[in-house]
Amino acid sequence: MVSGGYRPDASQNNPMSVSGNGGNGQSGKFVAEKVAKATQLRMSGLPQGENTAMAEQIQQGGGVKTTASAANPAPRMPRGEGLAGLLGALEPLDSEPAQFRPISDGADIGEGRGSEVLPKSLNPDMRQIENIELIKRYRNDLVNAARMPGAPDSYKRMVNALLREIL
Amino acid sequence: MENTFFDHLDKFGNSLGYENFAIAFTLSMIPWESPTDRDDFIREITNEDVKGGEPSTFNPEYSGF
Repeated sequence: MVSGGYRPDASQNNPMSVSGNGGNGQSGKFVAEKVAKATQLRMSGLPQGENTAMAEQIQQGGGVKTTASAANPAPRMPRGEGLAGLLGALEPLDSEPAQFRPISDGADIGEGRGSEVLPKSLNPDMRQIENIELIKRYRNDLVNAARMPGAPDSYKRMVNALLREIL
Repeated sequence: MENTFFDHLDKFGNSLGYENFAIAFTLSMIPWESPTDRDDFIREITNEDVKGGEPSTFNPEYSGF
């Protein structure tokens, strides 16, 4: 018997073995066997039968169970907290223990360190920047209003103090 | 000058503190119905009496400007 090469009388080349509507012939049988074999395979780590249950769940459109829940959500990076914010909370190993620091530690008044040790997000820099921008933009109007007759002294003092901020 | 933008700015700026000037500026742009309404609002948020506005008339002796 000749083996190899193209054989017109081979079964795969016989059109009679292929069903007209598909699925009943040799090709359809082949696919059905593959599907049956695939459903018998188990995913690693899952007990027998669970793979079928999961396949049914996916076919029904249900969500697959996850380890995260509403009560125990997956950990997430806090918003607005960059690396600098996280590093601000870190302390050197040789720093003074917190229980020995005065109550005014971190404030610009009293004993202890000043506000420079606080994380950047706690410093009111934005407020100061906003104040200075406003004063610069409306400086002439603020000064002219202070020269108006009837302008109270408290207003003049305030404008003087604000102008000192930008000088 | 009463019930004008600069009157509001005087009261808000002195009541909230100069460091809160930007907030005082924004609140001064509100068209308050009357100085009483504005002063009630300031007392509400500061729990203190309204500051600023003294003396209410022009003081020629003050040489600030």
